[in-house]
Amino acid sequence: MKLDFGFIWTAFIALLPAVPTALAITAVSVFCGLIIGTAVAVIRLYKVPVLYPIASAYVTVIRGTPMLTHLFIIYFGLPMLIDGATDSLGLSFRSVSIPMIGFAYISFSITAGAYMSEVVRSGLLAVNRGQIEAAYSIGMTTFQAMRRIILPQAFAASLPNLSNMVIGMLHGSTLAFTVSVVEINAKAQIVATTNWKFFEAYLAAALLFWGLTFLIERLTALAERRFNLYNRGGVS
Amino acid sequence: MIKLTQIRKSFGRNEVLKGIDLTVEKGEVVAILGPSGSGKTTLLRCINYLEKPNEGRIVIDDFSVQCRRPDKKAIHTLRQKTAMVFQQYNLFKHKTALENVMEGLFVVKKISKDEARIRSIELLEKVGLGNKLDSYPSELSGGQQQRVGIARALALNPEVILFDEPTSALDPELVGEVLAVIRKIAKEGITMIIVTHEMGFAQDVASHVVFMDEGVIVEQGKPNELFTSPKEERTKQFLKRITPEAAYSI
Repeated sequence: MKLDFGFIWTAFIALLPAVPTALAITAVSVFCGLIIGTAVAVIRLYKVPVLYPIASAYVTVIRGTPMLTHLFIIYFGLPMLIDGATDSLGLSFRSVSIPMIGFAYISFSITAGAYMSEVVRSGLLAVNRGQIEAAYSIGMTTFQAMRRIILPQAFAASLPNLSNMVIGMLHGSTLAFTVSVVEINAKAQIVATTNWKFFEAYLAAALLFWGLTFLIERLTALAERRFNLYNRGGVS
Repeated sequence: MIKLTQIRKSFGRNEVLKGIDLTVEKGEVVAILGPSGSGKTTLLRCINYLEKPNEGRIVIDDFSVQCRRPDKKAIHTLRQKTAMVFQQYNLFKHKTALENVMEGLFVVKKISKDEARIRSIELLEKVGLGNKLDSYPSELSGGQQQRVGIARALALNPEVILFDEPTSALDPELVGEVLAVIRKIAKEGITMIIVTHEMGFAQDVASHVVFMDEGVIVEQGKPNELFTSPKEERTKQFLKRITPEAAYSI
């Protein structure tokens, strides 16, 4: 077997246009997942009545099923739901006008939300109870204490896990090719079909993923330094 | 004036406060003494509802809370009328000394940021930390952190400041600087309730001393009277045991 180094480079260049798609899927799912996850974590930690069992069920069901399954269920189920609803309401909207990547956004956000809730929960648990007591003692409401005192510290504490999550979602974005979204892996396959050099094409994809992951690692390291500035003394 | 009536608190089956009555006049400095587990910290934490009393009544001037069924708004008002200095300081870790003091002023009291800053700097200078405004708690010693905690409490201009063993977590060397600050603000006529193990300090600063044991107030009175001629047997025992000479002589 002979490795075609030249083609690895050619494939690498050909893959670059797919990077924004992969990053968009990652960014949207992480961002929405963080919002869902924070809400779920707070609900579960403070045992909010009514919502508490729903949040717990969400986490166990979503974490108990694969990401690919979520994608298929959303991809096949959501159009039926939407078309049924628009039909009965007499609207002209049809699910075919939803772009394929939209299904990836929705399904991966739901996936990320469940995992993210545990990331946020670990962060919240890392914040000393004295912090919220101090916030109450100066007359803050629970909402003010959460927003100004607890969540910022919880966020700083969960950064290492958060970077894990971002990397996981970047690599998970490859699953979107199953619903005809051309992300990096799908692009590699397309490039390879011209001359059947799959090995070289996927090697190029691997290099690209590694590069992107390295970037994410550097960025989190910077963010950690920025958000954990207050821990630098280490006296307390 | 602060008036506590029949405050009761249980943790599960363990009754920690068995009906406490206590009146604190405006400007008074009250020291609460007693052995561990006597309920003194719990009592203090009940006053600003960090601990929820099961029964009783808390009155601050003309504001009153019925503890059996308090509404959220009443608890919130009660907390705004009180401030607390914690044993473990509990400074906001992600905020500088200055931001810690400002936080209550502009988030709770809704004072403009500039004004809050000026007032906070004044307070930090008062507790001797004018040169540490931009330090994070992790960069300060225990004594310095506790002085920031005192400034944070003072900033809110509360009816009463509650001190929960403010020097218990400190190195012996650092106790003095914190006590000096408390002594200084006591002279300004701010009402204070202090749970402490520093007998000398209590005798010196307090205008009224309360001795608690097993969830009840055993004895209270002027510091001179209580320290030199306690009436109750339990108080005598306690004072005898904590006298340093007796404890450390070999």
